[in-house]
Amino acid sequence: MPIILDGTAGITTPMYGGSIAANAVTPVTGFKNRLINGAMVIDQRNAGASVTIGAANAYTVDRWQIISSAASKVAVQQNAGSVTPPAGFTKYLGVTSQSAYSVGSGDYFGIVQSIEGYNIADFGFGASGALTITFSFWVRSSLTGTFGGSLYSNNASPYRSYPFTYTISAANTWEQKTITVVGDTGGVWNTTNGDGLQVRFGLGTGTTYSGGTLNTWQNGNYVQPTGSTSVVGTNGATFYITGVQLEVGSTATSFDYRPYGTELSLCQRYYQSNYPSGVAAGSNVGTEYELYTAAYYGPIAKAQCNVIKFFPPLRASPTITFYNRSGTSGQWYWGPYGAGESSVSTTVPNPGSNCGFVAQGNSPLAGTNIGYGYYTASAEL
Amino acid sequence: MYKELFDVVRNKKANVVIRLSDMANIPFDPDNTDYQAYLKWLEEGNEPLPADEEK
Repeated sequence: MPIILDGTAGITTPMYGGSIAANAVTPVTGFKNRLINGAMVIDQRNAGASVTIGAANAYTVDRWQIISSAASKVAVQQNAGSVTPPAGFTKYLGVTSQSAYSVGSGDYFGIVQSIEGYNIADFGFGASGALTITFSFWVRSSLTGTFGGSLYSNNASPYRSYPFTYTISAANTWEQKTITVVGDTGGVWNTTNGDGLQVRFGLGTGTTYSGGTLNTWQNGNYVQPTGSTSVVGTNGATFYITGVQLEVGSTATSFDYRPYGTELSLCQRYYQSNYPSGVAAGSNVGTEYELYTAAYYGPIAKAQCNVIKFFPPLRASPTITFYNRSGTSGQWYWGPYGAGESSVSTTVPNPGSNCGFVAQGNSPLAGTNIGYGYYTASAEL
Repeated sequence: MYKELFDVVRNKKANVVIRLSDMANIPFDPDNTDYQAYLKWLEEGNEPLPADEEK
């Protein structure tokens, strides 16, 4: 790999042949890319399986949420369609339209990542001196034309939006796009553990969530500019993205590859489970991977409790869902293992914290027992 | 739809609510987005089902 020393650009390393020809050398450590799982490699929830999105927002690959106002309009899958990712990547997030849907005024469809406030605090948004940031990504679609998205903050009313467009010139071809955004000197921005800044790729929105002045920060909730291509409007249309990066500065630099374990740990601040890698939550997985936890007979008859500690701690006290070995939600097996065990309602009797929780089941038997099963913990934004 | 939960250890209503669609345990943490959705649901005039075994 050549290294170029330049009095203007500093040290650069041309790589990968995308539209970002020269890539500034950056430290190995740090957090250049403020987006997590931008290469779409972590998929704890679905383990690569396709998910048809309902009429509610849903997470797919880690940290990436599909916003959806109507059911069954898009299916989403890591590496949908099994096309070859752009050079340097092995995974992508793929959306496939399930119908030719004409969006109503209040409809919205898109791909969103919410960046936690702590991770954009140095941007200085909301005051003079706000930093310029650059957003880059690889995209591939069966459609061509002008597509849209936005950067967005819902921290405080009035909300702030920055609508942008980009052009896909060739169908079914990976293209790299770069969008540079002057920092917002207006608005009130979250800089702690709340929703700091959202990156949104529009897949089709009605008039309520379309519009705004292009490439300008303004009040309002615009998912994409008016006239953007509607992916959900064409049955079978595909829209794939990967290598998504948001960084400080006015130039897009090489993708911030982080160790897999580091990326997984970053994701687990927002979602974690005791399912093994490659197994989707709620699967019928049998007993092989069950979490066994010693339980004690509680002070009240039939209250069996045990303590589970999170690693890493989550962003907030998480929503916890229990599953038994068959995938039935809300239950664990309790009692002596094997004969005498019983799958019963299991709950969290108090909120616990972002560091751990107590599981409580109603065992049919008194005495020393164990509780075993699976759980997911979600503290997404 | 949601259902309240009773904490049998502390013998009081738990600061957790069950979301019946997936039996998720939602803590009363203002930073939890599922709890924020629950509060919005309450503001719309809805009420959760009572807990099973209040004492």
